[in-house]
Amino acid sequence: MKISLKWLNDHVEVMDFLSKPEDLAHLLTSVGLEVEAVENRSQQFANVVVGQIIKLERHPNADRLTVCQLDTGEERPRQIVCGAKNHKQGDKVVVTLPGAILPGNFAIKKSKIRDIESLGMLASESELGLKKESDGIMILPADAKVGLPFAEYFGLDDVIIELNVTPNRADCLSHLGLAREISALLQRPIKNAKTEIKTSSKVSTKKSVAVEVRDSQLCPRYAGRVVAGVKVEPSPAWLRSRLESVGLKSINNIVDVTNFIMMDLGQPLHAFDLARLSGDKIIVDRAVATEKFKTLDGTELVLAGDELTIRDQQRAVCIAGAIGGLNSGVTEETTDVFIEAAHFTMDSVRRTARRHGLQTDSAYRFSRGTDASGVIRALERAVALIQQVAGGDVAADYWDVDSRPLQRQPIRVSANYVSDRLGYSVTDDDLKCWLQRLGCTVTSVDGGGEFEVTPPDFRSDLEQDVDLVEEYGRLNGYDRIPETLPSLSYAPLAVDKDYAFAARVSEMARMAGLSQSVNYGFTGAKYQSELLGAVELYRQCGLQMDISPVALRNPLSEDLNVMRVSLLPGLLSNMLHNYRHGSSNGNLFEVGHVFRHASEGYGQDSRLSMVTWGVPTGVWQKDERPERVFFDLKARLGSILAKLQIFQVQFKAWVETPSLAHPVQAAIVFVEGRNIGFIASVHPQWLMNEKVRTGVAIAELDLEALGRGQPRPVKFKPVSKFPAVQRDLAFVLPRDMRANDVATEIVKSAGRLLQSVEVFDIFSGGHLPADHVSVAYRMVFQDLESTLSEQKLTELQAQIVSNVEKKFAVKVR
Amino acid sequence: MISDQLLSTLNDKLAHSLALLMQAQDLQKLYDVKVSFSGKQGFLSEIMREMAKLPKEEKPQFGKEVNRVKEEFEKAYLTREQALKNQALMDRVRSERIDVSLPGLPLQMGAKHPIHLIFDDVISILNRLGYSVRTGPQIEKDWYNFEALNIPPDHPSRDMQDTFYIDSDHVLRTHTSPVQIHALLQEKPPFRTLAPGSVFRCDSDVSHSPNFHQIEGLLVDRKVSMADLKGTIAFLLRELFGASMKVRFRPSFFPFTEPSAEFDCSCPVCNGKGCRLCKHSGWIEIGGSGLVNPRVFEAVKLDPKQWQGFAFGFGIERMAIIRYGIDDIRLFSENDLRFLRQFIL
Repeated sequence: MKISLKWLNDHVEVMDFLSKPEDLAHLLTSVGLEVEAVENRSQQFANVVVGQIIKLERHPNADRLTVCQLDTGEERPRQIVCGAKNHKQGDKVVVTLPGAILPGNFAIKKSKIRDIESLGMLASESELGLKKESDGIMILPADAKVGLPFAEYFGLDDVIIELNVTPNRADCLSHLGLAREISALLQRPIKNAKTEIKTSSKVSTKKSVAVEVRDSQLCPRYAGRVVAGVKVEPSPAWLRSRLESVGLKSINNIVDVTNFIMMDLGQPLHAFDLARLSGDKIIVDRAVATEKFKTLDGTELVLAGDELTIRDQQRAVCIAGAIGGLNSGVTEETTDVFIEAAHFTMDSVRRTARRHGLQTDSAYRFSRGTDASGVIRALERAVALIQQVAGGDVAADYWDVDSRPLQRQPIRVSANYVSDRLGYSVTDDDLKCWLQRLGCTVTSVDGGGEFEVTPPDFRSDLEQDVDLVEEYGRLNGYDRIPETLPSLSYAPLAVDKDYAFAARVSEMARMAGLSQSVNYGFTGAKYQSELLGAVELYRQCGLQMDISPVALRNPLSEDLNVMRVSLLPGLLSNMLHNYRHGSSNGNLFEVGHVFRHASEGYGQDSRLSMVTWGVPTGVWQKDERPERVFFDLKARLGSILAKLQIFQVQFKAWVETPSLAHPVQAAIVFVEGRNIGFIASVHPQWLMNEKVRTGVAIAELDLEALGRGQPRPVKFKPVSKFPAVQRDLAFVLPRDMRANDVATEIVKSAGRLLQSVEVFDIFSGGHLPADHVSVAYRMVFQDLESTLSEQKLTELQAQIVSNVEKKFAVKVR
Repeated sequence: MISDQLLSTLNDKLAHSLALLMQAQDLQKLYDVKVSFSGKQGFLSEIMREMAKLPKEEKPQFGKEVNRVKEEFEKAYLTREQALKNQALMDRVRSERIDVSLPGLPLQMGAKHPIHLIFDDVISILNRLGYSVRTGPQIEKDWYNFEALNIPPDHPSRDMQDTFYIDSDHVLRTHTSPVQIHALLQEKPPFRTLAPGSVFRCDSDVSHSPNFHQIEGLLVDRKVSMADLKGTIAFLLRELFGASMKVRFRPSFFPFTEPSAEFDCSCPVCNGKGCRLCKHSGWIEIGGSGLVNPRVFEAVKLDPKQWQGFAFGFGIERMAIIRYGIDDIRLFSENDLRFLRQFIL
């Protein structure tokens, strides 16, 4: 909210900060009232002064121009060429001197206009930024003092402070409120200006209108007073200028007074046109369901029924605390007004304002909490001011329907407690002194050094002893709090296993050459479902994905309207971003959560996803076949699994693939017989659609399944001291047979002497039958106890060949 | 003596062969010399056959001579062979010249996302102070995200956090603070816990991302003070940014702490002298903190007369921006390798 320093000065002396507003800003920020901006108005009008035209002549070289000699309080008259027509000799005008910078970064310089020197410019209201448009230069009243800085003359020598008031400090949403805070801080007294009202016996509030509060829960206090015979017209300059300085638009003198009081005292008011109320009765009650209501600004609302409204005998005339109705507001024809000052509960106003989007200054204050005890004071100030700016007779009586609960319980607090919580020593006297400066009533309780503290009515945020700890702490400055480390006399909690495992897998993925992605937890519904294809097919891989993903009620956009069911939508868009920004190859992984509906509420699952694309650059031996990428990613996955001590891994062809996966380059990953995810090449159709001219492989694994029994301890196996022998065997296999099946059989046949078997060559064509490939296996044999004999090896090899040939009906080559 | 003639032939042949050895320029030619001199069909075999024809008394003396010649040749052969081998190696080595200015072969290590770099560093620092990591759901019940944290429905403090709703009872958690509630309900105090995680706010512009990351610490014990809180935060920030770091507390408001403080650190770029990053104030806003509000203990049925606590938290992206000078928040979610690969640490 915006605070005017001059306005603030009505309540507490602060004019010493006019020249150094930063000091005040710093002070306020240091006690928790964060200053977001300080605007020094007078600086805008540097080098702009009041002047008088002492001589006016035609320009010798231009019919439309005049040459003026001005008295600007300087030693000699100043010559200025002017193109306006509305000025005459003797007029008081606004003179902008060389060096002035007008709105729009318009710098005033010394110049020559048609050979005549001009030492400045006579300014119009639009040039000064005071009005959007203006006709001719600004002529000031005859009493304007020559030579006075324009800012000072026009009351613009002000500083506007923009405060970010936290929700607990509703009391600071007015000039009086901030003045109280400054008064406590700097020990300066609050200036209590007397309100004088000339009442008239001709007018009676209670005879003019009845008031009935039917819902005192939502409206604990309702007051109102009639002013009759007012003249609705534009506000005087001082009032306009005050409102404009804090960012409010001037409407008419009556409405302006209600807004002025709100900004001054923090109490929102409403003015009804008495003549437009039907039935001479005001009723405070909830709305009627489906009732229609047109607000002051012409918006039509349909009410739900639980909104608190101000009503006459027939209809709602105001949404309590939020906005007035078009049917009962003050117009130019209004003569008699009923000024309402009430206390509405914050929950109710906030709920109503949010539901109907009523972001008014009044609703803002009510929904943060106003001071019910200040209602009558605000009402009195308002009617006095209305009388001052709009005339009329103020009724001697007024309504005050007050059903507030009894007084607040005092808070018990001791200096010891404050001292313990802040961590530095606090004396009884000092604590008492600061609390009193805040306006609290402090009484000592016998023995124990405790105080009973009753905060002032306007500080409804002070409810507990810790609130008083904060008050003392912040007013003394948080810099006083020392730095200590709490001692640790208990065992730390167990580590979160899921987090630790996710971190370990991330580390392994990094070691396998994949860089870490972090994507949003939500994505676009359309994008996600089109990319993934039939999500139920992923269940075959052990990955649960909802067909209708968890949706957001209030998404920011269609691109972020559902929770992700897979990490791949994020990773593949990262891949495309990289590919289109010059990374023709790369490897990314993400360890993160996906979301689903659960039997009770929602669930989240951890996943590991990977994407690999393109051919690595910087390696001389290039293999550009698209399926190379599949095996590249498979190697990385293999390395991660091996580091997790997972050795029983199977890759089985994924037959029913979703549209994202290449139908014959996709495998379900089984770990120890359980499906935990998949690895696949991306379907060429997607590559074509996205104009990707290289292979892309993806994998997604269920992290929870992967983490079973983790961390697995390393099991030591003895290392043979005898030489290892290598033997190669090639078999001719039908093309649709899996190389790994033969390898499995080799392992089975060879027994404990076989240390490893791997495919090292694949060959087709030549003399081989059609649809057959030759697969060469390299085996390493070694014995723990002795050097293997040639005879033993020959026997073993014969056994392997015979078993494989028999089992698969294939031939050794 | 009859053997004189033969002896002279022997010596002549040795001298000739030794010369041939020196002339041989590769190992094959050298070997050829050896074969013709001492091989099975070579000169020495021939001379041995000649020796058989010699008188008996001359044989031992001549035999000695042959052995001497054979040894002399072998020695010369081995010397020459070693020289030629050395020569061959030198030649090969010379032929293997590489352009040392060519780039090295690519290494295979991947990069850590800067968000996780910060997470990991903060976690390892606070682990030393006895804080253990804990996680919680991202789709959170309203009660955990708001009510238990002293943010009742229709309370103005709800305006502080723009919330994504899933249904009337579930939100995308707006902060990591609900993990505090899970911890308070599940653990027996005293304890210390640390919650890193992903959070959501319904708000997006050049400096706000709708999904970002926070880390939050909670300590619960019998007696806990603002000084303990300040000391803990100061320790953390000094470990992260260096020992000369200063820490400042400013009064603020969070519904779940009382008193509440925002904490700043002296600007790590200019050491508090004032620069663009700190907007010439010398201070950088880091996060929020405070003593656990007794209302939070009441919500989880712990007696606020028995238990006290403090909590602190901050945004990870902001920390990364300060620490690495990252200038665009989009970089955190684009996952561009040119960005990520700068964080191979």
